[in-house]
Amino acid sequence: MATWTDRAVGMGLVVFSILLFTYYSIWVIVLPFVNSDHAIHHYFLPREYSVILPVVAALVLVLFIGGFITVVLWKNKQKKKVQ
Amino acid sequence: MLFVSGIISIRFFHIFLSTFTMTKLMEWLLGLSLIGVLWSIVTFDLLDLRISDQYLQVAWPLPIYLLVAFGCYSLAVVGYRVATFNDCETAAKELQEQIQEAKRDLQKKGLHF
Repeated sequence: MATWTDRAVGMGLVVFSILLFTYYSIWVIVLPFVNSDHAIHHYFLPREYSVILPVVAALVLVLFIGGFITVVLWKNKQKKKVQ
Repeated sequence: MLFVSGIISIRFFHIFLSTFTMTKLMEWLLGLSLIGVLWSIVTFDLLDLRISDQYLQVAWPLPIYLLVAFGCYSLAVVGYRVATFNDCETAAKELQEQIQEAKRDLQKKGLHF
């Protein structure tokens, strides 16, 4: 048995990804076939955001990873200079 | 000059044809380009197929949708495996001993932590 924190984080990830997948699938695939005056459209942003948001999220992720690598290499260089 | 280069290129072409095996990379690229062509035909209306408006609205975000779906799947698999990974007591102990041994060995050789 993994520790309870591991299990909580793991199950949290699973639930989050299921929720995200469901919301995104309804947004992209189901909504075009629903009447434009149905109330459900209030819960979803305009359709353009279904493409813009993932692209922005991917960009943020790449920037974050790049920044992290930069910081680690920088710290490594500092340490080498001291030694 | 041109004649010789023509002969050489035909030779290479024949060798390529007779020894051609499709690598996994080429398979994936072929599959992806096929899907890309089909998607472009539907989205940019290249063949005048006159697809109904609702199906067009589903088609144009499809590549991003597939990427997001794949990302969700990967996240779920990682989360599930983190949650169900069993402790390995003996392996953990063994690993700690090896770490201590390596530290002592390196410190002897002059590396500072």
